[in-house]
Amino acid sequence: MERSASSSHQTSPNGVPAGREFSGEIQTIMASTTINKPVEDSIAKVNDEIAVGSDPDFQRRWLRFEHGLWAVFTLIVVLDLLGFFGRGYMAKGTARTNDGTLDVQYDRVERYSTPSIMTVQFGPSAIRDGKVQLWVSEGVIKSLGAQRVVPQPASSVVGQGGILYTFPATSPPFSAGFQLEPTSPGMFEMAMRVPGGEEVRRKILVMP
Amino acid sequence: MAAVFRAVFGYCFLVLMVRVVGRRPGKQMTPFDFVLVFFLGGLTLTPMVGNDRSLINALTIVASIAVTHFVLVWLKQRFPAFGRVLDGTPLVLLEKGQWHQRTMDQLAVQDQDVMAAARDKGLERPDQIEYAILERNGEISIIQSSNKS
Repeated sequence: MERSASSSHQTSPNGVPAGREFSGEIQTIMASTTINKPVEDSIAKVNDEIAVGSDPDFQRRWLRFEHGLWAVFTLIVVLDLLGFFGRGYMAKGTARTNDGTLDVQYDRVERYSTPSIMTVQFGPSAIRDGKVQLWVSEGVIKSLGAQRVVPQPASSVVGQGGILYTFPATSPPFSAGFQLEPTSPGMFEMAMRVPGGEEVRRKILVMP
Repeated sequence: MAAVFRAVFGYCFLVLMVRVVGRRPGKQMTPFDFVLVFFLGGLTLTPMVGNDRSLINALTIVASIAVTHFVLVWLKQRFPAFGRVLDGTPLVLLEKGQWHQRTMDQLAVQDQDVMAAARDKGLERPDQIEYAILERNGEISIIQSSNKS
């Protein structure tokens, strides 16, 4: 047993275990390139006896920063509850035309890739010959990502920088809903009108 | 490209949140703290991934976070002031029989947390502790009093 142990620890003439000369050379090279740095008294001490490295001044400044940050976080939560970042009371908007053809309920602040509904109510003067026509700007379709229109329009024609929808409608009240899902963050313009009527034009902010 | 920005922003925001919410990881972490860590992580993940469930998106996000992490570590090493911002500095919680109550309140560390660390060292009472130090990694180091009785 002792013999086998000693045979496994045979050494070369230079004292390096057999088979380890190569790794020994590497260690020698590494040792020669190691940059040593003397130990300095660079860590701040407490009571001049224990090197802790604490920095009370920095800690005070950091706590002031933290308090400021907590105020910002609280403000963000309150603003969000009120709807300033969308999906809340302050985000809801209504736009009406003076001629009474359109009443649009929309969100002033939308969120990127988040579904919402924009409802368009048509006045009696918008219904002509048993149908209602509505021109919607390209911004509503592309930037605000109109996914679906309810009810299903009888026809939709692309033109004049937007789409002209035609809905069958016999009597008021009649409304249509646009399911939106914004495709990118930013400020976008929404415009719509009944042909021959006043136009509703609003800016909508899409939060990232 | 947006996934990279989202990943970098999400990572940096989480680093800031964890730094601000408290320094109670490691042994001081209670089940209460675990809820915070998992909840924050889970909530940040969803908007980072978005609708893109592709393998390349996952790889891009992981690589972005790895690079951001490396950059932060490098900055920490290169600029000690940045390291202080990211990790804070060690703080004395107990010094020669006196609790640093204000520091403990600010960091939400209780005397039970200090005693838990002391018991790890085989100490039984606060008067056996010379110094208790909250380290940058959230551990509490205990320096035993020389007149331990």
